[in-house]
Amino acid sequence: MEALGVRNIVKQFPNVLANDKVTLSIEKGEIFALVGENGAGKSTLMKIVYGLYTPNSGEIYVFGKKEDIKTPQDSIKLKIGMVHQEFMLIPRFTVTQNIVLGDEPHKGFVFDYLRAISEVREISDKFGLKIDPTEKVENLPVGIQQRVEILKILRRGAEILIFDEPTAVLTPEETSELFKTLNALKQDGKTIIFISHKLNEVMEIADRIGVMRRGELQGIVNKSETNERELARMMVGRDVVLELPKANVKAGDEVFSVSNLNVKNTKGILGLKGVSFSVHAREIVGIAGVEGNGQAELVNAILGFLKPTSGKISINGKEIKLITPYNMRTRGMSYIPEDRKRRGLVLPFRARENIIMGQHTLYPFSNRGILNDKEIDAFATKKLQEFDVRPPDIYSKAESFSGGNQQKIILAKEMSLKHNFLLASQPTRGLDIGATEFVYKMLVEEKKKGIGILLISLELSEIMGLSDRILVLYNGEIVGEVTPEETTEEELGLMMLGLKRKERVQ
Amino acid sequence: MQLLNLAIAMMLDFAAPILLASLGGVISESSGVVNIALEGIMRFSAFFGVWGSAVAKNQWVGLLWGIGIGIVVGAFHAYITVKWAGDQIVSGVAINVVSLGIITYFLELIFKTTGYSPSVPYFGSAANRISLTFLSKIPVLGAFSRLTIFVWLSLLLTGGLHFLLYHTVLGLRIRSVGENPTAAETLGVNVFKIKWFAVIMGSVFAAIGGAALSLGTMASFNNTGVAGGKGFIALAAMIFGKWTPFGAMLAAFLFASAQVLQFILQATARGIASQIPSGFYSALPYFLTIGALVGVVGKAVGPAADGIPYKKES
Repeated sequence: MEALGVRNIVKQFPNVLANDKVTLSIEKGEIFALVGENGAGKSTLMKIVYGLYTPNSGEIYVFGKKEDIKTPQDSIKLKIGMVHQEFMLIPRFTVTQNIVLGDEPHKGFVFDYLRAISEVREISDKFGLKIDPTEKVENLPVGIQQRVEILKILRRGAEILIFDEPTAVLTPEETSELFKTLNALKQDGKTIIFISHKLNEVMEIADRIGVMRRGELQGIVNKSETNERELARMMVGRDVVLELPKANVKAGDEVFSVSNLNVKNTKGILGLKGVSFSVHAREIVGIAGVEGNGQAELVNAILGFLKPTSGKISINGKEIKLITPYNMRTRGMSYIPEDRKRRGLVLPFRARENIIMGQHTLYPFSNRGILNDKEIDAFATKKLQEFDVRPPDIYSKAESFSGGNQQKIILAKEMSLKHNFLLASQPTRGLDIGATEFVYKMLVEEKKKGIGILLISLELSEIMGLSDRILVLYNGEIVGEVTPEETTEEELGLMMLGLKRKERVQ
Repeated sequence: MQLLNLAIAMMLDFAAPILLASLGGVISESSGVVNIALEGIMRFSAFFGVWGSAVAKNQWVGLLWGIGIGIVVGAFHAYITVKWAGDQIVSGVAINVVSLGIITYFLELIFKTTGYSPSVPYFGSAANRISLTFLSKIPVLGAFSRLTIFVWLSLLLTGGLHFLLYHTVLGLRIRSVGENPTAAETLGVNVFKIKWFAVIMGSVFAAIGGAALSLGTMASFNNTGVAGGKGFIALAAMIFGKWTPFGAMLAAFLFASAQVLQFILQATARGIASQIPSGFYSALPYFLTIGALVGVVGKAVGPAADGIPYKKES
């Protein structure tokens, strides 16, 4: 039985045709994955189904009936629920307040909070999604916040559940927890639409997979009859090479080192304990580890956002006494941040302004405090072309670019700063497969040029594929140092969980 | 003891207009609309209150006129900021500036006077005060024996607004719109309706506060003294009170106490202290306001989506 059908949906945005005659049929009780690169139109399609966008033409069928969905309220009535990529939660409200908002139990006009709490308990028991109804959402970890979102739509009686890139913000543990939930919901007869660009996850959870590219549906395949390579080809339109031939170049002089670094995090807990390592020219040093084991403390200490309680940080053999982003950068560091929207870009600024940031005070971009628009435009135009940013419009605001193109703007900015050490903190986080490939190529190019790279990543395959040496961070300590040739993902996994140590004898 | 009662009563009189306007700020900003026009709205309603009272020879009609103009000005602010998602500060400044000029003009046009309107029936006259004679001999409580209706209104509305915001469905929705309008919208809450309601409601509160300035203990409109910055002090009280009704009340009491203190200091100044210009004493409450805000601003966090115009995706 068809749960949801879309026929010939067309959605035209001012600059782009987001959906080009998309036709899909999703069966009741299946997990249907919709994959595609950022900007392929998968989220747009589902936002149309949910009533957030109005299509230019096309029809939507829900459980066999043609429906006119104009607002989210319409879709809620039709038992469609959506868990958005950016959670639609109010951090300062309690779990219960968030779940019942818009359909509150009440006596007259008085909000019946106690009954609301018991209703939340009921629904959480029914679906086995444990939650504390009176806790404030801001105090909950991301995985649990997502659970609140799921409960919210289940309480409204959702039969068709749309998940827009639900794993983008989750840790691996939270992801596997979510997958258990999805499978349980499927057993319950719910229909699940799973939007993603992570092919390994899609292969794990989906029954059928629809692939979109540039607004068009490329095809629908059964999971049992496909593989990641084929999906990637359908998504990108060509073969994707994520396994890069190692650039076997000889490491040079030391460009960066930390010794015996101890760092307290903002909670006052020692998040980094006696960490020492060095990075050499023409070398990629990978830091592997489960999120929250000291990566943030390491990055923030290197940038000067956290002051180490003890230890030394040196660039090119010289200790930096006063660590500030400015001092680090002027001595040769570039930085690809883990959170591009907060640290990488000024979102309301145009591409041209973002791209010169960091050298905006230097000639020729400015002269005695006056910005030179001609030089800036020429430089930005050249860089957008060089880094294949789409659309190559230097006047577009940073926030209007897709995630992959935003990352390219950051790369263009950081690579044009004079540097011989690159701090790459989760450089492919949230990127689709095409943009990921671009970043990988970029890093290898950098390495060949003689840059020393510190790569911090949560993706094991990335660490294994790119690094010359791997350091494993667990609970703020380096518990292992290996090369990718002498180790396996399994062994790294054990070290990351603190079950094994392997230290190099100095 | 009589003196203490007198001082408390005086403090409550000073606090009432500030508190009422501050509550107006609380409800408006809870829904995410900044209203710096409180000052202008108070001025509008103070004048229209006197006008209404003069026309009907009845202070109640005056109060209704004041509330009426509050609704009109509030609707204007909502039209600009909610309907057209205009800049809330610009709209607020415009209302404040317009109120300065237009009321001066109205004063001359209607009453043929400059500076002051003629005296009109008001709530502060002996007959119109709310008399609770049995309280008059009791310490502290005695202060409540002969107050104007505005003081009682300000206290009752504080409790009422607290109940509305924290114990009703409407209140939950108002706060949700001020925190995350997109989330509220996806759950079927009509964001625009809620904001319209909260902005106009907030203006009505401020308008009652404005009427308190000209129909409370005074019986006429003072062109240079109204609202005399009380709308801005109300904004400060709202922030100092962390956007909650009872917080605003305590803050209004604090600022009003400073005003009482000013009077006492001025009246009892001897020797060299009596040489200090009176302007210094008048400025005391404002210094206190600034001091209090410096202490609290940065720590006080308002509604997350406060001041951000809401536009629907298309």
